[in-house]
Amino acid sequence: MALTWTLTSAFGTRFLALHGLAPWLRWLGGRLLAGAGAVAAISIIVFGATQALPSDPARMVLGPEAPESSVLTLQRQLGLDRPVAEQYLRWAARLVQGDLGSSLDSHVPVLQLVQARAGNSASLLAGVLAVVVPLALGAGCWLALHRDSWFDRKAVSALIALKAIPNFALGIGLVMLFSTTVFRLLPAVSLLEPGRSPWSQPAFLILPLATLALAGLPYLIRLVRSAMIEALDSEYVLAARLRGVTERRVVWTHALPNALIPAIQGLALTLSVLLGGTLIVEVVFTYPGLGSALNAAIEMRDIPVIQAIVLLVAAGVVLINLGADLLTVLLTPKLRTALGAQP
Amino acid sequence: MTEATSRRDFLRYGVLLGAGATLGGGLLAGCSRDAPPAAASAAALANEKPRQGGRLRLGIVDGSQSGNLDVHKPVGSGIIRGFALYSKLWEWNERMTPELALAEEVSINANASAWTIRLRKGLEFHHGKTITADDLIFSARRLSDPQLASPYASLVQRIDRDNIVKLDEYTVRIPIKDGLGFLPLPDGWVNFGGIVPSDYHPVTNPVGAGPYKLKEFTPGQRSLFTRFNNYFKPGKPYADELEIIEFKDQTSRVAALLAGQIDTAYAITPEQIVPLRANGGAAVQISHTHGWQGFEMNLDAEPFRDVRVRQAFRLLANRQELVARALGGQGRVANDLYSPLDPTFNHGIAQRAYDLDQAKSLLRSAGKTDLRLELAAGPGGSAAAQVFANQAKLAGVDIRVKQVDAATYNGPLRDSWTMSTTARLGGEFLHTATNTDSALAATNKTHFNDARFNALFEQALGETDVEKRKVLVHEAQQIQHDRGGLLIWGFADTVDGIASRVGGAKPERSHFSTWRFDELWLRS
Repeated sequence: MALTWTLTSAFGTRFLALHGLAPWLRWLGGRLLAGAGAVAAISIIVFGATQALPSDPARMVLGPEAPESSVLTLQRQLGLDRPVAEQYLRWAARLVQGDLGSSLDSHVPVLQLVQARAGNSASLLAGVLAVVVPLALGAGCWLALHRDSWFDRKAVSALIALKAIPNFALGIGLVMLFSTTVFRLLPAVSLLEPGRSPWSQPAFLILPLATLALAGLPYLIRLVRSAMIEALDSEYVLAARLRGVTERRVVWTHALPNALIPAIQGLALTLSVLLGGTLIVEVVFTYPGLGSALNAAIEMRDIPVIQAIVLLVAAGVVLINLGADLLTVLLTPKLRTALGAQP
Repeated sequence: MTEATSRRDFLRYGVLLGAGATLGGGLLAGCSRDAPPAAASAAALANEKPRQGGRLRLGIVDGSQSGNLDVHKPVGSGIIRGFALYSKLWEWNERMTPELALAEEVSINANASAWTIRLRKGLEFHHGKTITADDLIFSARRLSDPQLASPYASLVQRIDRDNIVKLDEYTVRIPIKDGLGFLPLPDGWVNFGGIVPSDYHPVTNPVGAGPYKLKEFTPGQRSLFTRFNNYFKPGKPYADELEIIEFKDQTSRVAALLAGQIDTAYAITPEQIVPLRANGGAAVQISHTHGWQGFEMNLDAEPFRDVRVRQAFRLLANRQELVARALGGQGRVANDLYSPLDPTFNHGIAQRAYDLDQAKSLLRSAGKTDLRLELAAGPGGSAAAQVFANQAKLAGVDIRVKQVDAATYNGPLRDSWTMSTTARLGGEFLHTATNTDSALAATNKTHFNDARFNALFEQALGETDVEKRKVLVHEAQQIQHDRGGLLIWGFADTVDGIASRVGGAKPERSHFSTWRFDELWLRS
């Protein structure tokens, strides 16, 4: 709604367009540039970090019984004997040409390897988003509107208890319940057919999705609940009520948009963590996502794969945060008008 | 107990247990394989006719390494994929002794300095090309190329790759460098010496002559293969497709086996046996391998320069307890010697008994009564290291276990740990020594370098007469037992999970019963 308003006002007249849209574009451009800078800096830091780890890719790839002569030959072939800065620049130069290189471990092109994994992770994330957002908003608002009732107290306790269960225990519990010990309704592990979208194999998505949703919901529901309570207690809501505004309108028009802001930031944080950090679920369900690929690549010192995944995750985190900040600005009149008023 | 009797016992137990399961069902103790839930008699199972068709799915857990498809330098799960994709001149039999496969006849000269190998005729690669001597020469040269940077280079370093001779369209002579003997060539070659065509490429054209052709390779996830109709064993393999699925976690793999998502699970951990048996639907198969578990004592570092300290450590190891606790009881005690199935193995050396008093006395005489040292526990070694550290305390030795990840364990410090855990596959004596503690070994972490042992080993490498070689190996093993740097405390079993619909799986003395992709078939 706010976006529509902004765009309408911006495109209303040429004058307004010149003076209304430009600050927004400048802000967005600035943020994107800063984001790109952050991603580049992260790639340098991560590259440096891989050099600080004990051992090197040649030793890891060749395994424990490799003779020193083979290790040295492979180090030379992979260019690992070159100075670190030169190795980084070579990698960056290839990246600019769109070449991410090949995995040192499996010899498969990194693009092929990471593309499929990123698709799987994105599908999982989209699913989590689709489940968690309406549930968190609905349940959070409902609990706020019924705060301190018997149900609210029990629900909050249950949410805290749920939050206390480690993700892997949650996952294994769901497997025992739905796949092996109690019922045999769903596949125990997500053996996705490579080359096909996870959405065309939905049975494999249900348990990982449920685990991540159950892990993320307690935090978000409580966040929405407390933000909503704070909004409902605010003076502008009191003023609206005193003006005789209907309760329905008070909730939907006055309280909820303000309660959304912390929820959006909370959701952005949750998504950023999930982007590279669904490792536990990926291990429990053998779900082929980015987390386990990155974990394996780090252990194997597979630098091209590490760099590609880190770039992707860093860019994803930057974009998620940018999106969250954009929504926050649009939902906060003070920030919105301040930005719009800039020459 | 000699190995000959143990083999007989092993087979007898297998039959007895199969019969016992048929009669009573329930849990099986010790070894062999549980009866499938739809229990038929053992004899009926043995006579069952293999069924063609279906997709055979093997679940493996292999840490973080995806490995590649390279025929000559397979690592990690690449070794298992190699069993599907590539055929070799030799293949391992169930006792892990090389037997002829693509080779029809192999002969060696008197001092094992030249091998003459004749290929079977009418063999084909996956892409239809006939296998000839040229392919064998190409494979041998690629295999032994220093630029290949192979982890197994030391096992083929004696191949005189520039002087391989093509005798006819199917026969090749492979000389050993400098006219030296090299008997363990087949052992070294059998795992990673696949024969491939001259247009082979490990990424773009990974063709071989194995039972299955590659359809799809998704590293770290799965590989899919289709049946090779012109495989050199007529009528085999049985399944239309083979899928090798990589898991990151033992528990989820067993869950997948129980839920029918995979058919076989290679090398499950002992703690998974209970849930597997409790749930039914899959059998537990136990193979008594001679893959060994031990500690490497660095003879170049204190306190192990003194042989009395090494012997004291070997005496204070309570091997029964190590097997029970570190292997979950799935193994047998060892006597600081490898290769018990080798015909030249010295069975005359008595099993070293646990003797704390003698250990203390040796440490006292060596002046090492207040000993402190660090034990590097590599991947999979921490349980044994902890158990041993507790045992050492009883002799007044303070061992600090340092758990290290694979990268650190195999990193630049690899050859300088004072003491480290080790686990190796079983194999014949000369081959294993070539890999571990002989003068040829690339990674001799014990730094054992005994002049007499080296001379005996070198002589044995060229001695083709088994009886004469036995004398040499017996003395070499006595030296290892008396003053070597290996504390080999146990042989580990390989425990596999086999779904009831899988036929053709049987326990072996090897660890790879579930990799015999040309033997396994599906009942439904």
